[in-house]
Amino acid sequence: MATTAADALESHDTHEHHGPEKGLKRWLFTTNHKDIGTLYLVFSLVMFFIGGSMALIIRSELMHPGLQFVHPEFFNSMTTMHALIMVFGAVMPAFVGLANWMIPMMIGAPDMALPRMNNWSFWILPVAFGILLSTLFMPGGAPASGWTMYPPLVLQTGDAFPFLIFSVHLMGLSSIMGAINIIVTVLNMRAPDMWLLKMPMFVWTWLITAYLLIAVMPVLAGAVTMLLTDQFFGTSFFLAAGGGDPVMFQHIFWFFGHPEVYIMILPAFGVVSEIIPTFSRKPLFGHDSMVYAASSIAFLSFIVWAHHMFTVGMPLSGQLFFMFATMLIAVPTGVKVFNWVATMWRGAMTFETPMLFSLAFVFLFTIGGFSGLMLAIAPADIQYHDSYFVVAHFHYVLVPGSIFAIFAAAYYWLPKWTGYMYNETAGKWHFWLSTIFVNLTFFPMHFLGLAGMPRRIPDYSTQFADFNFMASVGALGFGLSQLIFVYILLTAKRGEKATDRVWEAPRGLEWTVPSPAPYHTFTTPPKARIAQESFE
Amino acid sequence: MTGAEEQRKRKIRRTALIMAAIAVAFYVGFILMGVLRA
Repeated sequence: MATTAADALESHDTHEHHGPEKGLKRWLFTTNHKDIGTLYLVFSLVMFFIGGSMALIIRSELMHPGLQFVHPEFFNSMTTMHALIMVFGAVMPAFVGLANWMIPMMIGAPDMALPRMNNWSFWILPVAFGILLSTLFMPGGAPASGWTMYPPLVLQTGDAFPFLIFSVHLMGLSSIMGAINIIVTVLNMRAPDMWLLKMPMFVWTWLITAYLLIAVMPVLAGAVTMLLTDQFFGTSFFLAAGGGDPVMFQHIFWFFGHPEVYIMILPAFGVVSEIIPTFSRKPLFGHDSMVYAASSIAFLSFIVWAHHMFTVGMPLSGQLFFMFATMLIAVPTGVKVFNWVATMWRGAMTFETPMLFSLAFVFLFTIGGFSGLMLAIAPADIQYHDSYFVVAHFHYVLVPGSIFAIFAAAYYWLPKWTGYMYNETAGKWHFWLSTIFVNLTFFPMHFLGLAGMPRRIPDYSTQFADFNFMASVGALGFGLSQLIFVYILLTAKRGEKATDRVWEAPRGLEWTVPSPAPYHTFTTPPKARIAQESFE
Repeated sequence: MTGAEEQRKRKIRRTALIMAAIAVAFYVGFILMGVLRA
C-alpha cells in the first residue's frame, strides 16, 4: 500500500527531529521533496549537457556543406537522441524538480503526498536514460528514426529497438507517477486557507500540466507498445503489408505529442508568472484569467494534433478544423502575454538575472508562437513542412521558452535553496551571452526553411552555407555560455547570505521560511492568508 | 493519528487510485482502438 505524507509525518513525530541521512544513502532512499527536487534538477542538468553535446555534433556537421565529421546514419541517431534526451531527460525533469522543491512550500504542505512513490519516480529516470544511451554502443547504432519514431522507418532500427521502447515506457511511467503525486499533493495537502483560486500560478500551471501528463503519456506508451508487438509478435497495427495503417501511428503519436509541447511550456508560464510580479513590485495582473487561459490552452492542446500531419493528406474539413483550432490557441496565449505586460506596466521594475531571463522568455517565446501561427495555416504548412522553418519554430518555443524559464526559476529560487546569493555579474553574463547566441543559432533557421532547406539532413546545397555557418557559430557560443551557469552553481555558496525574503517584493509562502529552506518545512500547516497579507 | 489526518490519508489514496485508473484507461483504450481498427 502506498505510503502517504501523513504516514511519514506520523513516524516522524515518534522520532527525534532529524536532518538528512549522511552519504549516498541520503540520495538513494530519500523521501524528502527537497532532496528529490535537487536530484531531478542535477539529473536534468547532466542530460542538458549530454543532449547539448549531441546538438554540437549536429551543428559541427552542418557548419559547412558536404559531409565533415560523421556518417549520415550517426547524424540521424544524433538528431533522434538529442530530441529524446532534451524533451524527456532535460526539460521535463527540470520542471518536475522545480515542482518537487517548490509546490509543497508554496501550498504550505510538509512534503509531497506520496513520498516513496516520489523517490521511485526519480530513480526510474537514470535507469531509462542509461538504457537509452547504451543504444549508442549497440550493433546497428542508436535509434535514428527521429523522436517521432514513425513506422515503418523505426522498425528498421537495429538491436536498439526494444531498448528504445523499454526506455520510453520507463520515462512515461516516471512522468505518470510524478504527475499523480503532484495532483494528489495539490488537491489534498494545501494549507487550510489556501483556496484553489488563491494558489500561486506556478502551482496552477503544474496542476494543469499534471492532468495533461496523465492523459497523454499512456497514449505514447500504447503507441510504442503497438510498435513493439508489430516488430516481435506478428501484429500489423502500423504495417500496411499486413493491413495496418502507418498514418494511425502518426495520429496516436501526435495526440500525445502536441499536449507534450504544452507539458513543456505551461510550467514555464507558471515560473514567469511568479518572477515578473516580484521584479515589477506589483501583483500579477489578472491571476484568475491566467488560470482560465492555461486551462483553455490545455483543453485546446487535445484537439489540434493533426496540424503536424497536414501533408499526409486529409479531407478539407479536417484541414480547416485543425487549422482554426490551432489558431484559437493564440487567444489564451495572447491573454497570458497581455497579463505579463500589464503586470510590468508602471511597475517599479528592476532587472536582476531571473527577470532578464523572464523578459527574454516573453519576447522570444512570442516569436516562436508567431511562427507557430504561420505553420498552422494549412496551405502554407505544406510549403514549410519538414523544413528548417519548423526547426526554428520549435527551438524558439523550447530554448528561449522552456529552458530560459528554467534558468529564470533556478536564479530566482537558488538563494532560497542554498541560503546564499548567487554571483549576479556572472548571471548577467550568462543571460546576455545565451540570448545573443540563441538568436544567432535559431533565427537564421527561419530563412533556411523558407529557402527550402529540409530538416534532418547531414549535407545541403551550397546556397544554404552562410546561414548554416552562422547557426553553427551560435550553437557553439550558446553551448560554451552554459559553462557560466555551471560556474555559478559551483560557487553558489560563496556569495553573501540571503535573507529569508531574498528579493524586495516576493509573494508566496516559500518566502516565509528561512533561507536556506530547512529540511522539513510546514510540519504544522501555516495560515496561508495571514502570511500572504503580511507581504502586502 | 487524528480523525482529520485519517480522512486526509483516505482522500490521498482515493485521488491517487483514480488518477492511476485514468492513466491505465488511456493506455488500454488506445491499444484497444488499434486492435479494433486493424
